[in-house]
Amino acid sequence: MGILSSIADFIDGLAKRHRLLPWLLAYLFLLPLPFILATVFNEYLIDLANRICLFILLAVGLNIVKGFCGQVTVGHIGLYAIGAVTSAVLTLEPGGFGGALGFGWPIWAAIPTAVLVTAFAGLIVGLPSVRLEGAYLALATLGLGESVRIFIAVTPALGSSTGLMMIPAPSIGSFVFDSFTSYYYLVMTAAIVGIYFSFSILRSATGRAFQAIREDTIAASVNGINVVKYKLLAFVLSAIYAGLAGALFAHMPPGYLHHNNFTVIEMVTLLLMVVLGGIGNVWGGVIGAIVVAIAYDQTKDLVFYFMDRPVVVQPLVFGLSMVLLVMFMPRGIGGWIEDFQRNRRFIRRSEERLGGTARNS
Amino acid sequence: MSFDYSSLLAFIIFGVTIGVVYGIVALGISLIYSGLDIVHFAHGEMYMFGAFFGLVLAHNVGVPYPIALIGAMVLTALLGMAVERVFYRRLTRAGGGYTVAGMGMIICGFGMSVALVNVAYFIWGAEAEPFRANLDYIPRLSFPGDIEVPESYVLTAIISVALMAALHYFLRHTKTGLAVRAVAHNKDIAYLMGINVPLMISLIFGLACALAAAAGVLIGPMQSVQVEMGYLMLMKAFAAAVVGGFGSLPGAILGGVMVGVFENLGAAYISPSHKDIYAFLLLILVLMFKPSGLLGVEAKVKA
Repeated sequence: MGILSSIADFIDGLAKRHRLLPWLLAYLFLLPLPFILATVFNEYLIDLANRICLFILLAVGLNIVKGFCGQVTVGHIGLYAIGAVTSAVLTLEPGGFGGALGFGWPIWAAIPTAVLVTAFAGLIVGLPSVRLEGAYLALATLGLGESVRIFIAVTPALGSSTGLMMIPAPSIGSFVFDSFTSYYYLVMTAAIVGIYFSFSILRSATGRAFQAIREDTIAASVNGINVVKYKLLAFVLSAIYAGLAGALFAHMPPGYLHHNNFTVIEMVTLLLMVVLGGIGNVWGGVIGAIVVAIAYDQTKDLVFYFMDRPVVVQPLVFGLSMVLLVMFMPRGIGGWIEDFQRNRRFIRRSEERLGGTARNS
Repeated sequence: MSFDYSSLLAFIIFGVTIGVVYGIVALGISLIYSGLDIVHFAHGEMYMFGAFFGLVLAHNVGVPYPIALIGAMVLTALLGMAVERVFYRRLTRAGGGYTVAGMGMIICGFGMSVALVNVAYFIWGAEAEPFRANLDYIPRLSFPGDIEVPESYVLTAIISVALMAALHYFLRHTKTGLAVRAVAHNKDIAYLMGINVPLMISLIFGLACALAAAAGVLIGPMQSVQVEMGYLMLMKAFAAAVVGGFGSLPGAILGGVMVGVFENLGAAYISPSHKDIYAFLLLILVLMFKPSGLLGVEAKVKA
């Protein structure tokens, strides 16, 4: 507790000088990570770090709809798929392998277009939220997300069973982001900027409108908040996150995209991240994404044999841990973070009142 | 080329038969929704377990098909009641009474579904197994225009209708059924009337799981039985339940038949590879224009 609160005090001090300083510090801390990983462990972990950054983007985006605005959505992975496939198809050369579509656009035009297309798709996913609540909304978004995946899986122009191959890597001038290490800087920057913007949204009038809708839709509408507009806006914002993550995923080396990356299992993993992190807490979501992605990756090949039958432990443990998490830790890691912050605020206020003796007690 | 009416008739007949099976699963989902106020995302796995129980009873134990059907229903009902007792009861109680706020139940159901699938992987492995049932005593139906309906489809239609009639009789004409309806209507008042609410909830869960198992055993001879079969069925059954109106029992059947016919016609006349999307398309269309479903009275606001 002592170390944590001194770190928190230090960050608060930095933020008082300029609100971007803590973010710059975090960025500087993350810059040498691939070299540390490559020397201490191996190159593969850099790829894992890249995927974690994408999952952070996804989890943070999902948090905007679910955590801030209180709308249940289970179709987020469909938006991710739309972003990825759009960007991949736009940049592929025409007449590619297996009848895949291709337009041969430059990458830096394709990624923003993919994000825009995904934002529009997010608007469509959000439309049911205007009239539906709770369970109905979950089913509607699940249906939409799943139809996207099935559509990709059965359409040869979008890669169907073979997947899309040879998706070009992005480049600036002559520098090409085609290795794990160079791509890390791209996705890491995106993740940090994404987290920062999510806090900006939370603090803005828009974020307060979202929270008002989450707490009580009727009360929010009585207070002059355009509920329809803000619900749709929440879906569009989270779709922008998902689209960006998808587009970056498509161009990630080795530039291969398969619809198996967008199954309901991935959706469950994403939900687990947000739930473990605590719904509505940005940092909780980030920590959840890191923990779940690492755990998921490291236990993937874990098989033990029971009576000569292979038992794949991972999905079983993941499913059960989700059930148990909801049962015994409904607030997730975010609950701990909020308790910690509340304690600190309480101690600070007591110190101001008692003259600096509260911390010793 | 003139329009082929007899093949249209065939598509509709097969669509209705498969749709009735969707309807049975949707009936269970609807029953759980009205009884427990939760959407049960692991219901597809109950269907899968039911199919496997039936397969084991019919092949390994060697009992005749109708007894395998009943045995699978009983076993799956027990499994479902155990799952409800151990996992869901605590969760449904946490929200104050039996309502659940927001995501908790959805995530819990997904987790349960993944866990159950992998338990089944462990027990039965990943191969699809054909369900060989001796159905020679069932007549084949012939329709004008050279349409022959196989035995398994005839049997499915008969048993589905019988199950629905039995459920209707149970809910409308027995005292226990009245208690179940009271619990679905209002738990607090049901408590005050001296109804054993937790027992009734167990019963609802058991009934719903038995219906899913029946669907699994019925569909076994038409398609093969495999571990991954639950998920797609769950999606179709959700679509059926929503199309007919969540919580409405006749609506679930109507929705199931509509989904079955819609996807068979879509597969026949638009594109067969997109078959699994049509159900979602219907679901989304209905949700957009009549969110309460075709037979639903009014979408209850359950946040």
